[in-house]
Amino acid sequence: MAASKETLEGLAQAESPRARWLQAVLDFTWQRPLGAIGAVIIVVMVLVALTAHWLAPFEALATDYGAMLAAPSAQHWLGTDAYGRDVYSRMIFGSRTALIVGLGASFIGATLGALIGVASAYFGGRIDLIVQRIMDVLISFPLIILALAVVAILGTGLENVILAIAIPMIPRCARVVRSSALAVREMPYVDAARAAGFRDSRIVLRHMLPNVMAPYLIMLTAFLGQAILLEASLSFLGLGVQEPVAAWGLMLRGAAVEFAETAPWMAFFPGLAISLAVFAFNLFGDSLRDALDPRLRTQ
Amino acid sequence: MLHYIIKRLLLMIPTLLGVAVLIFVLMRVVPGDVVEARYLTQGSQFLSQDLMNIERKKLGLDQPIWKQFTSWMGGLARLDFGLSMWTGAPITEEIKLRFELSLQLAIMATVVATLLAIPLGIIAAVKQDTWVDYAVRIFSIAGLAMPSFWLGILMILAMLILFKWLPPMVYTPFWVNPWENLAQLIWPALAVGYRYSAVATRMMRSAMLEVLREDYIRTARAKGLWLKLILTRHALKNAMLPVITVIGLEFAFLMGGLVVTEQVFNLNGLGMLFVEAISHRDYTLTQALVLIVASVFIFVNFLTDIAYAWLDPRIRYR
Repeated sequence: MAASKETLEGLAQAESPRARWLQAVLDFTWQRPLGAIGAVIIVVMVLVALTAHWLAPFEALATDYGAMLAAPSAQHWLGTDAYGRDVYSRMIFGSRTALIVGLGASFIGATLGALIGVASAYFGGRIDLIVQRIMDVLISFPLIILALAVVAILGTGLENVILAIAIPMIPRCARVVRSSALAVREMPYVDAARAAGFRDSRIVLRHMLPNVMAPYLIMLTAFLGQAILLEASLSFLGLGVQEPVAAWGLMLRGAAVEFAETAPWMAFFPGLAISLAVFAFNLFGDSLRDALDPRLRTQ
Repeated sequence: MLHYIIKRLLLMIPTLLGVAVLIFVLMRVVPGDVVEARYLTQGSQFLSQDLMNIERKKLGLDQPIWKQFTSWMGGLARLDFGLSMWTGAPITEEIKLRFELSLQLAIMATVVATLLAIPLGIIAAVKQDTWVDYAVRIFSIAGLAMPSFWLGILMILAMLILFKWLPPMVYTPFWVNPWENLAQLIWPALAVGYRYSAVATRMMRSAMLEVLREDYIRTARAKGLWLKLILTRHALKNAMLPVITVIGLEFAFLMGGLVVTEQVFNLNGLGMLFVEAISHRDYTLTQALVLIVASVFIFVNFLTDIAYAWLDPRIRYR
């Protein structure tokens, strides 16, 4: 609690909004160096994804059949794959897939989950009971199994993978947000809003939702790393993003395992990229969680 | 207490029923069915609609949906999962060996994870904000970040390059040849156990930190009690609750969720079976698998709740 209090005091002292932001960022960096490291890696990753066309020495799909399975060299920094595609360039382009899927899936999953959680807490009674039972049912499917089932229905491809990853996250977020929303529901201002005759949708969206921002943000950042990992797993199984799109999980599939002994760079570097990305999001998410609410523990 | 247990047990029934309905509907929403899937794999040019309909009739797929559902439920009530639509063998047979493998792997990974997580979590909490704490936290966050299938690939690769040795790739049941069996399963258990331990270490650390701030710990310290005794007797017991929950839930997840790791280590566990069943559109097998995995999950959940109530008398169970 002490940490967030200091942050709040820091916020109060700063005058202009910009200075306030700067102060908050500085405080966060000072108090949570690990989180700041995570944030820096994330920023670098976003920049890499945005400037992939300039950064990558080769195009993601450029094949060079003269240099198949070539070892790392001055021309191909991290070697080439079975089609002679540059591993380094594909890793750079792969960051786009990871970020799009990660951000897309966790945003959809956390937002829908938060809406359901808040609405469930607000309406209470029978609606709450039924919604919670449905969430229980969804939660009892292991994450990857539910995602697999969704992919089987919708088919593979980027958008479907995003949905397949988002859907299992909805009940997890709904449950956490609901427990916070239950406390918010008892607040006098919700009663006041109701007495003022506001519509239910307005109370849920305008009065309650902003007050469960902390658990929402915590779940959102916690999902980011998981979503990237899940996308990699699905793609590795051949059920996620499809060739020839550059995606880290996909790069580990097939030839990377077959030729692992003779061309280990194919299996090593994309996995490293996945780990680094998830590592960064987890570091950042953890610190954000500690800063926002030290007592709220999620997995 | 007994009342609470019975109530919780009864509450499992609607959840399981929900799971059953959901997977039943999901499978029928998936385009294609087992008959089509089989003709496609055979590459048959003569996709005669009549022939396919005869096949469907044999499998009972021509019946109305509700009838299929009630006959499945009727079978379940008699503890009969029925026959696999793909192989025609009884589902209990199909699942038996795979279940054994998945269960053994899950137990081994749990042992690895617990042995790592409890000491690491305690050390990190006691030495909070020192380099020890940072090292443990980085170690555990790295464990969460590394895909365990990639860790598996690296382990196999390292053994191949350094020792010119590969773990056995064909499953031997433990009671046939324990040595051979362990030589194969220890690697996936380590790869999975590391990730698993990361979750538990973090929980152990934060639970321990919370307990260490309690008044009774301060009292014990003020009494001049030996630190080791405080930690093991007073703190650990109270901090174990959330850790047990996490370990329990992860264990349930391991039973069916190791799809990718199984692929890397060429293990025919429940996860692989699940992927096969879905791609074959084997309705009966998929439904049975999902129901089993969900039951394990719900049951473990139930057990951890009971453990909670039992270990912490302050929890009111109604």
